[in-house]
Amino acid sequence: MITRKAISRRTILKGMGTAIALPFLDAMTPAFAASKIPGETPVRMMFVYVPNGIMMEHWNPKYEGKLRELPRILKPLEPLKDDIMLLSNLTNNAGRAWQDGAGDHGRCCGSYLTSVHVRKTKSDILSGTSCDQIVASQIGNKFRFPSLEVGIEDARQAGDCDSGYSCAYTNNLAWKSETQPLPPILNPRQLFERLFGSGAQLSPEARAQQSKIRRSVMDLVMADTRKIQTTLGPTDKRKLDEYLTSIREIERQLEKAEQDTTQINPGMDKPYGIPADFAEHFKLMTDMVTVAFQADMTRVVTFIVTREGTSRAYREIDIPDGHHPLTHHQNNPAQMEKVTQINTYHVQQFANWITRLKAIKEGDATMLDNSMIVYGAGLGDGNRHTHEDLATLVAGRGGKYFKTGQRIVHRRETPMANLYLTMMDRMGVRAENFGDATGRLDGLSLG
Amino acid sequence: MRSAIILLLSPLFWLAAGLPARQAQQAPRDAGFEQSLQPFLATHCYGCHNAEMKTGGLNLEAYPTTASLLQDRDKWEEVLQKVRTGEMPPKGMPRPKEAEVQMAVRWLEHLFEQADQQAKPDPGRVTARRLNRSEYANSIRDLLGVEFRATTEFPVDDSGGGFDNIADVLTISPVLMEKYMAAAERIAVRAIGADPLPKKPVEAKYSRETMNTRRLDLSTVEATHRIEWDGEYTIRFGLPGERSADAKPVTMGFWMDGKLLHTMPVETKPSKLVYFDPYSEEDMRLFLPEGDHTFRVAFINDEFVKGLSEKEAYNNKKNKFIGSMTFIGPFPTTAEKPSRKKILICDPNGGLACVEKIIVTLAHRAYRRPVTKNEVASLMKLASTAKGGGSEGLSAEQGVQVAIQAMLVSPHFLFRIERDPDPTDATKIHKVSDIELASRLSYFLWSSMPDDELLALAEGNKLRAPGVLEAQVKRMLADEKAAALADNFAGQWLETRNLDVVKPDPQKFPAWGPELRDAMKTETRMFFEAILRENRPLSDFLDARFTFLNELLAKHYGIEGVTGPDFRRVELKTDQRGGILAQASVLTVSSYPTRTSPVIRGKYLLENILGAPPPPPPPNLPRLNEEEVGNVGSLRQQLEKHRTNPTCASCHSRMDVLGFGLENYDAIGRWRTVDGKFPIDVSGTFPNGKSFASPAEMRTLLKGELPDFSRCLTQKMLTYALGRGVERYDRKTVNDINRKLAASGYQFQTLIHEIAQSLPFQSRRGEAVSKDSAVKTKEVSQR
Repeated sequence: MITRKAISRRTILKGMGTAIALPFLDAMTPAFAASKIPGETPVRMMFVYVPNGIMMEHWNPKYEGKLRELPRILKPLEPLKDDIMLLSNLTNNAGRAWQDGAGDHGRCCGSYLTSVHVRKTKSDILSGTSCDQIVASQIGNKFRFPSLEVGIEDARQAGDCDSGYSCAYTNNLAWKSETQPLPPILNPRQLFERLFGSGAQLSPEARAQQSKIRRSVMDLVMADTRKIQTTLGPTDKRKLDEYLTSIREIERQLEKAEQDTTQINPGMDKPYGIPADFAEHFKLMTDMVTVAFQADMTRVVTFIVTREGTSRAYREIDIPDGHHPLTHHQNNPAQMEKVTQINTYHVQQFANWITRLKAIKEGDATMLDNSMIVYGAGLGDGNRHTHEDLATLVAGRGGKYFKTGQRIVHRRETPMANLYLTMMDRMGVRAENFGDATGRLDGLSLG
Repeated sequence: MRSAIILLLSPLFWLAAGLPARQAQQAPRDAGFEQSLQPFLATHCYGCHNAEMKTGGLNLEAYPTTASLLQDRDKWEEVLQKVRTGEMPPKGMPRPKEAEVQMAVRWLEHLFEQADQQAKPDPGRVTARRLNRSEYANSIRDLLGVEFRATTEFPVDDSGGGFDNIADVLTISPVLMEKYMAAAERIAVRAIGADPLPKKPVEAKYSRETMNTRRLDLSTVEATHRIEWDGEYTIRFGLPGERSADAKPVTMGFWMDGKLLHTMPVETKPSKLVYFDPYSEEDMRLFLPEGDHTFRVAFINDEFVKGLSEKEAYNNKKNKFIGSMTFIGPFPTTAEKPSRKKILICDPNGGLACVEKIIVTLAHRAYRRPVTKNEVASLMKLASTAKGGGSEGLSAEQGVQVAIQAMLVSPHFLFRIERDPDPTDATKIHKVSDIELASRLSYFLWSSMPDDELLALAEGNKLRAPGVLEAQVKRMLADEKAAALADNFAGQWLETRNLDVVKPDPQKFPAWGPELRDAMKTETRMFFEAILRENRPLSDFLDARFTFLNELLAKHYGIEGVTGPDFRRVELKTDQRGGILAQASVLTVSSYPTRTSPVIRGKYLLENILGAPPPPPPPNLPRLNEEEVGNVGSLRQQLEKHRTNPTCASCHSRMDVLGFGLENYDAIGRWRTVDGKFPIDVSGTFPNGKSFASPAEMRTLLKGELPDFSRCLTQKMLTYALGRGVERYDRKTVNDINRKLAASGYQFQTLIHEIAQSLPFQSRRGEAVSKDSAVKTKEVSQR
């Protein structure tokens, strides 16, 4: 029977606010092969999203071409400037109002990776499949997880999220279909358990027995579902389709896990509780993403750092005011300064993380080299809710593909979707078109 | 861009665009309109809202007939609302006589009502709804007697229309499915209790030294700890220090996830036994359920530390304080688990007949309907094959356990699926079955599954017999489980759930802390429950002469004579407080972390109380510089400056007046008379000309708008009850409910009874299949 072996189970007593040691960077590096697929460079695609726009005057350098001194917000990336690429004038036209009135925060996030103008309604949702999910659906089945979705900030618990838009648009970046958003995992323990299991140590027999029961359970409920589905209206049917697809995905994971019995030692204790400190929470989540990359458990990740319209206060850097109200600064210098500090603080966390990725060797390159990580915001100027010239940088070379160390200023109103098409190409997913894309982005690649 | 918006808002655009409009223009002119409303419009409205000026994008001359007006119902609802509230004609224009306004309002209301009565009834339909986190946790509790914390285990439920139980917005992602699978496994184990406890209890210590606690204030310590096994635990508190010889004992309280579990008295004066390093320990022994929990220990209402500096407070010669909290356990409980008692209605080792009996009983309740023979057979098969396959060999109990695991991930448990005789014919209306109605009721009132009595009535087709439904609603409202309405409905309607995420600036509001936060929540929850259970009038929400306080909150409010941590009903002697708009919970969630915002509060009031959400600000308008408030000039002066811009004024005149009316309460709801260096002036005038000079007077005026409040609350509650947005075709339902509410003197339970009896709650229809959706479904199923 499936019982946890009580005595052998590690009891980890960690509380909130304690630093959790992560020795894996030093100790664990050679633990697993870089790619599950021999002879192939493991290229990863990731999006890191920050809300409420950016103080663009401290983001955009005054020059084009080779990166020299970086503006204030990007300063933390100074030592990494050869590894990043700044892209200017990218626009998300779908985030604009068109004829839907207010709700730029809801709209810009819902449309960020989907390039679809989302439906403004409180009682149902309609977006589009996001670019990361197109990649995940095509190449993801080679890996344990087609994609991972992570985040830091808990959602608003009540009330309207933005001017009549469902909270689904601000809570999620990744959309598996136009009606099925993929929620980010916020709790470090939940992410840990998803990646590395609950920590229960089972004998091989017990594990086999557990899988067998899970399979029979899934068979049973899938048969049940198919039976009722035939008699339902289209929307109800779709709901149960979501259910079935999700079960099949778990079946697939189970299969993967059985084929690949390598035990992954994450080199870290299972974390408990949600750190109150922003930097610590950020580090925990990104460290686990790093391990997932190392073990080649996934190639596609979206990370929604905090949510559009968030009023999170940053006491960590002595800012007691809410982020969103601050961004409507009315050109008040004191408020603009605080927003700049929050923007910089976020970039600092990002820089800390990719510095660690750069330290991990993969063949003749580094993990950072083999990745393409977009760090960006869904609004340009948060004060005026603009949707053009979105703050966008790409870290990593996507496996000797991107020419980093430069700033490329594209023609005004160049669709963000062009970047996505370019990245999808690199992931081996050749799409004819995506969203409002007009083509691939020029000047990014080496070749 | 701007002109495009204006064009779209203009009724002319719609009239020119659609066929129905053309029909409208051909309709015969009607004498009623020309004699009644049109003269009013001509005198008071056409001056600005004409074909040439189209002020605010509105040309009222474009509606020459009753029929044309009904074609553009939404627009005219807005017109009606603005005339009714006195917002139009605007300040500065000649004011129509009150009788004229009344005539116009009644004429329009009557017209709309008639139109609604004649419209073909449409109950709409609700999509198959998955249980949300609270419904899941409550259902597990009622089905198995297991406490499961869905909020820390499952990803957040997206919400729509302000509620997290909207069918179309609740989806199942692979991550959630993984969690469902894992939860089902664990819950089944916990329910049957086959999980062995460790042979030796484990110790986990939280203390200042190990840096794994949070000090919330000088007498409160909090730690997050995961309980790995259901079981009994000893919680040992290390209490260093001592107070003076005449110090009084304190009451130490212990909370789990905000719920007070236990209190005990603690002596604080010198013990005379230990001289150099005074220290004592106290133990509590409690049953704690598996899961991530936030534990808090505090000396309740500890007056003594208030006179101490932080340094003194942790000096063991000056003070006795909480130093550590240690969990020791689990110890096996002597009593049998309530879940086992609930599930094992016979001895499963006694044979298959008993196993089947148990499985039938459980599945019946889990699926909230009788189970079919086939369903039982496949569950039985699962129980036995699981048993046969393993090398360890499963006991009969474990077979039951696996069957439970399957039930908990079954679509019949996770979803509420209602069947249509004609699923793709939108014109076919039918009553939902008694069994479906039972689940609708129980998830509405309890956020959980039907109990045996309700289900039995439904299965006997007796739920719709005369008086039965009403009696059941009454019974269910009296049940403890109806508290779910306070947590889930009121918590979202009044946005008090956001108390968990707001973070008032501790520098500016040192009084803010988890105890105060919980007290705020408790007040509003108990207040809501009192109105619900005592069937009080809705006007109590706006102003009531009672509330619920403990010492902490009473002090926060400056109310004397309430001592101790327990909440009790308090009659209010002054008019500083009264109703939800004077409750700290509501006042805090409608503020910024550092200060109040009359704009947010005004908007809150319009959206949640008056049901008249302000239109969003036009793009590129200067926003109010609230930062300068209290520094450069009072907030009021700032906002008045803002309102000299006529575009801003049209909305802000209404929004700000309401928000300012609450300026006597600071950002955590304390009473105040100055803001920074400026005295507070709350006085204001409603668009209808009525003035107030204090929050209490404003509340009195709001009570005069009870019909608006009632309509707003009806729409919110109908949304929550149905799990879908309120649509145009629900208008008749909303009107009918409101009429009956008014007739009952606006008694709260009338609202609930009427919703339960209403057409959309009782019935549903098929869904029109557009080509579009057919294609989509196909795509999805192919994937």
